[in-house]
Amino acid sequence: MQIITVAIADEDAGRRAKFENCLQGVEDIMVLKNATSSEGEMTIDRRLNPRKNISAIENIVAMMRRLNPRILIANYKQCTDEDCAMLVSLRRECPETLVVLLADESVQQEEQVMQALASGARGYLSPESDSRYLLKAVHVIDRGEAWVPRKMLGKIMDQVLQWCLENSIEVHLDPAS
Amino acid sequence: MILLASSSPERLSVWKQGVRGFSHISCVGSFDLLREKFERSKPQILLLDDDLPGLDGPSHIADLKKLSPETRIIVFGRSLSDETEWELFKVGVRGCCKKDIDPKQLISVIAAIQQGELWIRRTLTCRLLDELGVIELEKNQIKDAASDLLANLTRREHEIATLIGYGESNKQIAQRLEITERTVKAHLTEIFRKLKVADRLKLALIVSASLGTRN
Repeated sequence: MQIITVAIADEDAGRRAKFENCLQGVEDIMVLKNATSSEGEMTIDRRLNPRKNISAIENIVAMMRRLNPRILIANYKQCTDEDCAMLVSLRRECPETLVVLLADESVQQEEQVMQALASGARGYLSPESDSRYLLKAVHVIDRGEAWVPRKMLGKIMDQVLQWCLENSIEVHLDPAS
Repeated sequence: MILLASSSPERLSVWKQGVRGFSHISCVGSFDLLREKFERSKPQILLLDDDLPGLDGPSHIADLKKLSPETRIIVFGRSLSDETEWELFKVGVRGCCKKDIDPKQLISVIAAIQQGELWIRRTLTCRLLDELGVIELEKNQIKDAASDLLANLTRREHEIATLIGYGESNKQIAQRLEITERTVKAHLTEIFRKLKVADRLKLALIVSASLGTRN
């Protein structure tokens, strides 16, 4: 049986503990504890210590390199350029690690979610999600699939088709190209 | 209106059970008839058997989409490969299902697709995200290239190029910047020369791309 390693990056200790507890008893899942800071329980020794002389993005990328989880569950407060840059960096530097975001209702706006998915996230779910959905999301993403509602998939497909259409029109209109 | 396209009476019978809620249901048994009916009636939904006589793959479906872009097409196949299904989605199909779907499930599929959902097999969802990622990369590359081009302009030229990007006329720009139209034209000539573009439409495209508003 292949073990799915999961790291949770969430500064809210209570929520992190809730997700860790939910995943811990599962046979094929191993939680790599505390991928956020040096606080709290440290079971993966110094690999989890953030370094002070590098940026937040470099820190999380370095941490994921050391931990090498299959799944990173990351809290996604808002879609800042830094958040997206982190997703892009993670995808480039740690391609084996698949990111699923915890995005609450305030963040779950189409544009922001789309931006996160375009930057490399493999899915998103509400921090208040039932543990069954969390488990299912971990397994689905581990299988190489996305955890995205069908309605959002429809919107993504619209955007893909729109881009293809605009580009083909542009090529057609511009005799120099 | 919903249009059912299959040459199989059994399939049409199952589909009819699944679409009973629609006020107007129409059936066709060949691609030629489908094309004619499709263009005339522009249905909300088309259920399309991939074995329909005369239907020749995704290119035919792309032609149909041009006749009625708003129609949501659902294709039914016996064992469509990931590759084939992906091709279908890329020409605008909104759902792919197995031929032996039961009427109850068909009702769910149609309802989901009417709400804007995509009925795609889970194994293809990451391919869709990859495609989105590639587009994002291309957008960023275009944005960077456009910004690099505009970096060759002086501050005043940049200001004028930006206003062209917002669709302003020479007269409006002259008024806004308190200069003469002749000066605006002189700046534009220099901008066109530096950016190697022939008209303001292409300049506007470069400006929009640099702002990331091209899409």
